[in-house]
Amino acid sequence: MKLKILQEIIKKKDSKTEFSIVTNLKDGDSEIFEKGKKLSKNFESYQDQIEIFFKTKKNGVIENTEIFVETYIRPIKVIIVGAVHIAQYIVDFAKSLNFEISIIDPRGYFASEQRFPDLKIINKWPDEAFKEIETNENTALIALTHDPKIDDPALQHALNKKFYYIGALGSKKTHENRCQRLKTTGFSDEQINSIHGPIGIKLGGRSAPEIALSIIAQLVSETYKK
Amino acid sequence: MKNSFDEKILEEANDWVKANQKVVLATVIQTWGSSPRQVGSRMIVNETGDFSGSVSGGCVESAVVRECIGLIKDNKPCKKIEFKVSNESAWEVGLACGGEIAVYLEQIN
Repeated sequence: MKLKILQEIIKKKDSKTEFSIVTNLKDGDSEIFEKGKKLSKNFESYQDQIEIFFKTKKNGVIENTEIFVETYIRPIKVIIVGAVHIAQYIVDFAKSLNFEISIIDPRGYFASEQRFPDLKIINKWPDEAFKEIETNENTALIALTHDPKIDDPALQHALNKKFYYIGALGSKKTHENRCQRLKTTGFSDEQINSIHGPIGIKLGGRSAPEIALSIIAQLVSETYKK
Repeated sequence: MKNSFDEKILEEANDWVKANQKVVLATVIQTWGSSPRQVGSRMIVNETGDFSGSVSGGCVESAVVRECIGLIKDNKPCKKIEFKVSNESAWEVGLACGGEIAVYLEQIN
């Protein structure tokens, strides 16, 4: 692989675009494919098959050829509400995972850059913050403040936009109260039951890194169920 | 949804090249049966045999390192190698898990 291509791949990954790398296994020639791109003459005869791999997000050798296709998918957007201690560990654990994390917290002293270097922190109330982030059914929400003023609007947004994963921190009692409030607001039982609360898989630990690990484990598990 | 991981091997490869190392990229391109790592899994190897990442669960990495060093020595651009089910009675490299994988080696230049 040419160094130039390698560096271009890294750049594309950083810019969160979707693309495929196509490689001719015979001579090692490789090229980047993106939606709508016409491939160079070295690969043009495989254009249709490469597009299928790209669309179906598949990796592999095209049948009866020596062409290998590897598709890079856009990282999954994960929104954390609450720039709390647990969030710091979630960010740490997620470093080798394909998640793009944004943190929302209206409380300035929590949402400081020093606590979360190199991360998008939105120091606004959820209703305002969500105007800046495009969300859909491929987005995940982790609500960590257990303060209804902050968590509830975010949960409502996530339910309305049908996020594939919604988790909320808090004890069983806190969660019961939360469900009751959402019910009063008009959400159905089915919607409310889709919230993972209390958040995380049962690990037994109660420290911040252990809770973060249980949340990340649940998030990955739900990501593969999609 | 295909994966939720990003091992940052290519980023590491770039750092190694910047540090004037010769780097071979090894990628799993095909698997048959129960292979430990999926297609697209990667490792990198330099001329002294340092490596990062993986193409199996530790079963064939040593052979991949040897092949990569050979590729650098012979100054060949690329090579495809296959690993099959291991013979338990022999001290040879193979996939103890019973799968088969094809790994593509290519020099970064």
